[in-house]
Amino acid sequence: MLIKILGTGCAKCNRLEQLTREVVAEQGLDATFEHVTNMDEIMAYPIMTTPALVVDEAVKVAGRMPSKEEIAGWLKG
Amino acid sequence: MNIVVEALQGGLAGLASYLAAHVLLCLVPAFFIAGALSALVPQQSIIRYLGPEAPKWVSYPAAAGAGSLLAVCSCTIQPLFAGIYKKGAGLGPAITFLFFAPAANILALSYTGVALGADFAIARIVLALVFGIGIGMIMAILFRQGEAARLAQGETFGSDAGISRQTLLFLATLVALLLAGTLKLDFLKTVLLGIELPVPGVGSLQAGLDRLLPVNEATGAEGLSVQGLFLIGLLLAIGAAAWRGLGQVDSGFNRLTPLALGLTLLTLVIAALGVRNSENGLFLALTVRSALVAALCVVLIPLARRFDPWDVQQWLWETWRFVKQIFPLLVVGVFLVGVIRVFIRPEWIQAVAGSNTVLANLAGVIFGVFMYFPTLVEVPVAKMFLSLGMHPGPLIAYLMADPELSLQSILITAAIIGKLKAWTYVGLVAVFSTLAGLSYGAWVDGASLWMLALPVGGFVALLVILLHRFERAMLARAS
Repeated sequence: MLIKILGTGCAKCNRLEQLTREVVAEQGLDATFEHVTNMDEIMAYPIMTTPALVVDEAVKVAGRMPSKEEIAGWLKG
Repeated sequence: MNIVVEALQGGLAGLASYLAAHVLLCLVPAFFIAGALSALVPQQSIIRYLGPEAPKWVSYPAAAGAGSLLAVCSCTIQPLFAGIYKKGAGLGPAITFLFFAPAANILALSYTGVALGADFAIARIVLALVFGIGIGMIMAILFRQGEAARLAQGETFGSDAGISRQTLLFLATLVALLLAGTLKLDFLKTVLLGIELPVPGVGSLQAGLDRLLPVNEATGAEGLSVQGLFLIGLLLAIGAAAWRGLGQVDSGFNRLTPLALGLTLLTLVIAALGVRNSENGLFLALTVRSALVAALCVVLIPLARRFDPWDVQQWLWETWRFVKQIFPLLVVGVFLVGVIRVFIRPEWIQAVAGSNTVLANLAGVIFGVFMYFPTLVEVPVAKMFLSLGMHPGPLIAYLMADPELSLQSILITAAIIGKLKAWTYVGLVAVFSTLAGLSYGAWVDGASLWMLALPVGGFVALLVILLHRFERAMLARAS
């Protein structure tokens, strides 16, 4: 599973990465993380706001902080 | 030696009056509102009006709305600007968004209103709106040829997320709290109840404070009251409790969270009390303002409880993050402004910008472009200029130009839209800030509102017609 965090390195983006890593560790999932900070790469996804969470190239959330339960749901599904 | 003491005193006086008088009833609620906007308002609710298909009477106001509602944080400005430009409504609305955001977010607006007066805050938002839309349209007209076909990504904008009524009610209550605490209306000062509180030693404490920070009407130094001293103490206590209470609230409420919030409410209520020193104690006056502030604080608690705990945690976390990001820079900025104030002779400012001339407004703009102050520090700087005798016109010109044009924002803009467009934007902002200053200055000097509104409104109407014409022509050629 490839998990991408899109964000320009702001506090919220780091927080999202931290939360997602916690979920991955708790669920014992196997995932590769990538933190995308390049504006052009971010804009290639259909989003306008950061932070965004992309799981296997599908945008799960953008512009707000999801709860851990939500993240867990996306990672399992 | 004397000058050093005087300078330090100036800095401390600025800081004291800032902490005790300005911050509390204005910036504390404003920070909570900024946090709520950032955490509780779904960004899609505004972004959906910024799609490539949106007509311009929707996209330009929506861009301005995004500027004031979503852009309190630098994490949102850059991607939103790039997004609006590259796949949304295009260059014009993107520029409007960029121009409007620093002048019209809740923090800048409320602080301007309290430090400089409501008329400056209103002038700032109205002029920024008019000229932001104007500049956006000019850019769209100038660069109409280069507008590449934008990627149609329906899913980016296709969302029916709205702002829930619960969130709206909550935001409205917070805004009401901000207004009740800051508006300078006479009926708010009506005393409902007076209590004399015997506090031994108040007189000598006040005398000590006055020696430390002398009141000087001529320079605008407000001194520090006993109430102010007490409030500064409360602020420090909030800071200590909030460090963990709010800073780590995202991993669950902890024991310090209610303490930090309780102290904040207490501080707001005490700040809203009218306190006078009497012969052998303090005279507390419960005014309409204090009653309103207290009532609104009480109303907020059940309203906040109706939210999902996760949302409340996000709200508090965002609020504290704004405080941590902006507050320290502001404190340093206010202190330095107070120090520098001692060394600037009013004659200099009055000679350069004492009256509302083109040259004076231009001077305001140029100072704004070359000086870079962190978020919100432009307000105490402006306050200093005002007390030194700067004319309100050039002051508005400076306030428009300073946050819009910093080296940092020019570089970001250049990276996204290209150098030519970025520098054209800079030029336009300089010209229009000067114009904004001139019109506000003329209004202050007594020109009638209609005389000013007509040319400004006519100019924007002309731009709308031009833009519409060009778009029609382009469509006709394309088909």
